[in-house]
Amino acid sequence: MKLDKCLKIALNMVMHSPLRSWLTIVGIVIGVASVIAIVSLGNGLQNQVNSQLSSLNANLVTLSPGFERGQGGGFGRFGGGPGGFGGAASTAVATLGKNDVRALQSISEISLINTQISGRTNVSFGGESGNLQVSGVDPKTWSQITSSKVGQGRFLEPSDKGVVVIGYSLASGFFKSPITLGKDISIEGKSFKVIGITSDTGRFDRSITMPIDDAYGVLGSTKTRDDYDNIQVVLKDGTDIDAAVAKITAVLMSSRNVKTQDFTVSSTKDLQQSVSSVTSSLTLFLTAIAAVSLLVGAVGIANSMFTSVLEKTKEIGIMKAVGAKNRDIMTIFLFNAGLIGLVGGLLGVVLGTIASSFISSLLTGSGISLPGIGGRGGGSVTLVSVDILIGVLAISVFVGLLSGVIPAYQASKLKPVDALRYE
Amino acid sequence: MEKTHPTDKPIVVLKDVWKTYSMGEVKVHALKNVSLEIRHGDFVAIVGPSGSGKSTMMNLVGCLDTPTKGTVFLESRDITKMSESDLASLRGKTIGFIFQQYNLIQNMSAFENVLLPLELQEFDDYSAEKRAAELLKLVGLGDRMGSRPTQLSGGQQQRVSIARSLAANPEVVLADEPTGALDSVTGREVLETLHRLWKTEGKTIILVTHDMNLARYAQRFIELKDGEVVRVEKNRDVQKVDYRLPEKQQGIG
Ligand SMILES: Nc1ncnc2c1ncn2[C@@H]1O[C@H](COP(=O)(O)OP(=O)(O)O)[C@@H](O)[C@H]1O
Ligand SMILES: [Mg+2]
Repeated sequence: MKLDKCLKIALNMVMHSPLRSWLTIVGIVIGVASVIAIVSLGNGLQNQVNSQLSSLNANLVTLSPGFERGQGGGFGRFGGGPGGFGGAASTAVATLGKNDVRALQSISEISLINTQISGRTNVSFGGESGNLQVSGVDPKTWSQITSSKVGQGRFLEPSDKGVVVIGYSLASGFFKSPITLGKDISIEGKSFKVIGITSDTGRFDRSITMPIDDAYGVLGSTKTRDDYDNIQVVLKDGTDIDAAVAKITAVLMSSRNVKTQDFTVSSTKDLQQSVSSVTSSLTLFLTAIAAVSLLVGAVGIANSMFTSVLEKTKEIGIMKAVGAKNRDIMTIFLFNAGLIGLVGGLLGVVLGTIASSFISSLLTGSGISLPGIGGRGGGSVTLVSVDILIGVLAISVFVGLLSGVIPAYQASKLKPVDALRYE
Repeated sequence: MEKTHPTDKPIVVLKDVWKTYSMGEVKVHALKNVSLEIRHGDFVAIVGPSGSGKSTMMNLVGCLDTPTKGTVFLESRDITKMSESDLASLRGKTIGFIFQQYNLIQNMSAFENVLLPLELQEFDDYSAEKRAAELLKLVGLGDRMGSRPTQLSGGQQQRVSIARSLAANPEVVLADEPTGALDSVTGREVLETLHRLWKTEGKTIILVTHDMNLARYAQRFIELKDGEVVRVEKNRDVQKVDYRLPEKQQGIG
């Protein structure tokens, strides 16, 4: 029998499938849809992370107290300029201080040094208050190092005192009334004048940045004056970053006079590598979970195929009586299974695409933000690529075929008399 | 005036055939050392009481089953030695089946059911569709081609199955109790259709029935009893058939 005729018969079988077969298809649909939703979410995240990372200054190197092998000085720090979760939590003893800055100044590859501290503290405005992250930075260099852009007003200047630059999201949406330029906000009872607001990049930004001397005043209980949570340095253009990191490490080791490294030097490059390895393993992990549901769908198809072969035993006998060969029966049932995979895959692709845009709007619309990755207005959090759709569809058809092989073989091997006698 | 059939060349030969069914310890000998020859153009009725082995014999003649012992020849080829796909192909080309329960495929229209053997034989679409339509007209169902089996009466379904049995233009038409599920008038009309095919198309017809009234249409009787051939004889009183068909068939069922 020609293949197109086998396909026609198989199609006819699918069209007249009982409800049970459609339930099988639902299994595949869910499997395919979840693979697509999850993979697209993973890809979208990776995409956003990458674009944020690439907006970072490639020449930026961050030093933090305490030694963490391999990893950078904490993820929270990238993208948002100053801030971070304080990578030194594990080592209370080692600190970074003025001596380290002096040692760094002697390194010719370094063009800028910014010392900073940060912590959460009580901030109030217009009768409301909240607990927010406050960063103290070196007003001489911060404006040249930060990846934030100023939207209104200006950045900090060397002589500034008692002033802050705040993030766009904080200014426009945190308190009931928006904070505008020139207003005073109260931090730990001290009054600070807002001289700058960052521009709206679509990214979630509630930062408060002030000169480091002021910050010791408001974060005083947790910070020791002249100890830094981290030091950012910018290398001169064209510097070999790995060599510079090695040199900085060596210089600080000798100036601190330590045998085992008690600080961490991480470059943007390191950060990019470790972040993308985390996001890709996350994506892989999620995909594996989704693949399990696809597997469940496959078992469903196989089960449905076995039942279908039983139900169609008589028809198989009839077809054999009128001249069908084993190969024809095998082909028809394989097509049948493949079509179930295809139909399930197509519906799954549609559902998965809808689900992924739904997830995207859920994450962005509600202002939910993953650390450092906001999405408000800044494009979709998920990324559905044609490659994935086609790939998943192909997998779904393949899974259908694979799960149909044994039932189809069984069907083809039925003896015509036995099949015809089946009721 | 009657067309004489070339009855010299055997088309089906059973030689010392045994068929034994084992059900656990119990062995049922459905056929015991049966030998027979059916020639081109024969119209044979296989008769005998229920359980005598008629269907078992039909299945062997139709290559749907293989004997436990002995050999079956179809067109001089030993079916026990043929590959599955050669046998299927030979069966499809040489034999058309008509079953008691019609055995139409429920999800296919009358037309698609008749088309199926032609598709299996890889006829080109145009001639296959033309032939299927012609055959349905021949059995008086030209206006019911799109109907599904459930939308047809028993008699109409059996006519679809007759059309299907003829689709690939086989040498032999095997009919196992074709009227068993029909009332006597409809049953007689189905028999008359078969008779006409034999007469005008020169087909070899093998009819299984336990009803001697229907067997009278045949030229020869082969009587089975307890799995053995007990009588082979010529019908001296062939039923006279009135050939005003197919118009008359419009009323069947
Ligand atoms: N598949 C089978 N398994 C066991 N016994 C069978 C099977 N088919 C037929 N028989 C037995 O073989 C004998 C002949 O059956 P069958 O050929 O169907 O007779 P008939 O068609 O003349 O009524 C009966 O005793 C029947 O019970
Ligand atoms: Mg029988």
